[in-house]
Amino acid sequence: MATFRMTTCFVLALALLATPCFAASLTDSLKSGKAELKSAGSLAFGPDGVLFVGDSLAGAVFAIDTQDRTATQSASVEVKGLSEKIAAMLGTTADQIQINDVAVNPISKKTYVSVSRGLGPAASPVILRIDSTGKLEALSMDNVKHSSVAIPNPANSSTSGRTNPRTMAITDLAFVENQVFVAGLSNEEFSSTLRAIPFPFNQADKGTSAEIWHASHRRFETNSPIRTFLPYKVNNQDTILASYTCTPLVKFPVSSLKPGTKVMGTTIAEFGAGNTPLDMIAYSKGGKNYILMSNTSRGVMKFSADGLEKFDAITQPVADKAGVPYETISTLTGVVQMDRLDADKAVVLERTASGLDLRTVALP
Amino acid sequence: MLLLLVRGALAAYLLLTFQSPAVRYDSGLNAFLLENWPGAAAVTPDSYGETFIVSVDAADVPPLLGQYRLERGVLVFVPQFPLQPGVRYRATARIPGSSPISIVIDVPKAVVKATTTVERVYPSTNVLPENQLKFYIHFSAAMARGFAYDRISLLDESGKKIDAPFLELGEELWDPEGRRLTLFFDPGRIKRGLVSQQELGIVLHEGKRYTLLIDKGWKDAGGNPLAEEFRKTFTVGGPDRKAVNIKSWKIRKPVAGSRSTLTVEFPEALDHALVGRELDIVDSSGTSLRGSISIGSLEKSWTFTPEIPWKKGAYELRAGSVLADLAGNMIDRPFEIDRFERVDQVLDRSIHSISFKVD
Repeated sequence: MATFRMTTCFVLALALLATPCFAASLTDSLKSGKAELKSAGSLAFGPDGVLFVGDSLAGAVFAIDTQDRTATQSASVEVKGLSEKIAAMLGTTADQIQINDVAVNPISKKTYVSVSRGLGPAASPVILRIDSTGKLEALSMDNVKHSSVAIPNPANSSTSGRTNPRTMAITDLAFVENQVFVAGLSNEEFSSTLRAIPFPFNQADKGTSAEIWHASHRRFETNSPIRTFLPYKVNNQDTILASYTCTPLVKFPVSSLKPGTKVMGTTIAEFGAGNTPLDMIAYSKGGKNYILMSNTSRGVMKFSADGLEKFDAITQPVADKAGVPYETISTLTGVVQMDRLDADKAVVLERTASGLDLRTVALP
Repeated sequence: MLLLLVRGALAAYLLLTFQSPAVRYDSGLNAFLLENWPGAAAVTPDSYGETFIVSVDAADVPPLLGQYRLERGVLVFVPQFPLQPGVRYRATARIPGSSPISIVIDVPKAVVKATTTVERVYPSTNVLPENQLKFYIHFSAAMARGFAYDRISLLDESGKKIDAPFLELGEELWDPEGRRLTLFFDPGRIKRGLVSQQELGIVLHEGKRYTLLIDKGWKDAGGNPLAEEFRKTFTVGGPDRKAVNIKSWKIRKPVAGSRSTLTVEFPEALDHALVGRELDIVDSSGTSLRGSISIGSLEKSWTFTPEIPWKKGAYELRAGSVLADLAGNMIDRPFEIDRFERVDQVLDRSIHSISFKVD
């Protein structure tokens, strides 16, 4: 989820909207004050140390100036028992917190973690950063430069005085060319919208959205919620690689994301039953391009990103593991979150027998 | 007399001057205090955290998050979050030239009060289509996040757990109050032609009986388990692949001049949340009427009671196109569209309506 998607190699063109204004600095639009986050989930970095935070409970995306803009050489980070350490810092036990996402600031190389302290709806959101020595530091939200944008949420009809039980869980975020792409899953209708919101945020323009669909073997079309996605360049075309909750990996051109349209993803791989795609990151090694995908039941998978255009839609039922060939990285098990640290390394959050560990791994 | 006064003053002076530094926790203030140490005033704020360390009582853990302040010579640490029952905390003063002074605060565990229950599960019907899309589980109080999929199981007729029937999302789909969980069946096993369905097959089979089991060990937001387990046993009918047809609905009209109810009856059960959200009554000017709604038995009817009496005239019942039945078939658009039929490339987000008159 938490990848800094404006990679040097792959930059998406503007697609959904008219070109947004270019601010002198992306932090200029942010105002000092208390950032009233209700929850902290998906994280993604933009430039200038701006951290985007998906707040599903408030139905909003926050942009927070971390003021963490000192470029540093990347260094490995390793924190054993991260969940216990964070819990202790928050005065509680590891079973009373949830680590929701991990993102690396591409400038400072510090790792940011979004956490819920408490497990009920009144849980407190906390964002922490971890330096290469493993030192944990909480970001104060009391007086921080920030802005936010609400994600439209259809209200109840006809009635008054009732709370609206509909929410949209923000499942992934990415900052691309002055837009924040937001994938979300409703707790009521089974549908997926991929929303593009111009940044700096402007309350009058909450962005546009397109519904993402999936064609199963050329015949059946359904709405298909996206679990995680990665902006990428395929055959020189700006593309979204998206993994659906029903497990196929699909691609669709950014140019197809027009407001109010139905976007059909082309299936380029299927990963089979019981898999929940968790996270994707892109990298280059030895002159070749790869994508890593963490996945609940198949571990971390690596597949070549060169020639994705050659993989046409899967149009016939397949036995298993169809489409883009992949290898499972046997050294990476229990990975629940990951983000790229630099050209050669990634930071992963791993579930172990004793809890959650943060460690740095060489990109395979 | 004078001697007594001098001795008293001297005793007070010695007490003030030589009273030992002490650490204590003030529950009223929710603060740890380092008292009786005149040297506190000389400590720079940057060094408060090295002089007075408050943490959970465990090895190799960072200090508690919180704020320090110096108040009338007392170094005060206020944790950002209240101390939690069942957790031990240690506060240590490291005063130069002295041995560390340490206290441990043991916050007693809260008494377990298992009062929260599953109030209801939708759909209410006990006959579900083979391609049932989801359950809504309503609780009597806010629940803890993060444990849903460990506490919910689907059993077959023999009581055996079915492997991976549901879509498991780290985010868990709760309402804002934490009292309603949306539980989707794994869409990969509902949609036809996918690897998931070929590997594990569809979850529900026509003619079979299943039980949705909610384990009483599931904790509420207060950390207490449920008062009792919950079971919903149901049988399975054939798949439903037909779009919702608004033309098949029946409206029982109200009477003008009264606040009598308007009832809409559906020939099939509809999705509880969506039927509660997506229906609207508008008058001839297109303005939505304010009022209250209720959803009828088995989610096969919807009733609207206006805030003010009905006036004679034309009205419309409007339905948003995402309104769906139990299998996720929407108005004029089934869950799965067969591409051999015509496919619109532009989303139909129109409002569907039925006109009626109140006399």
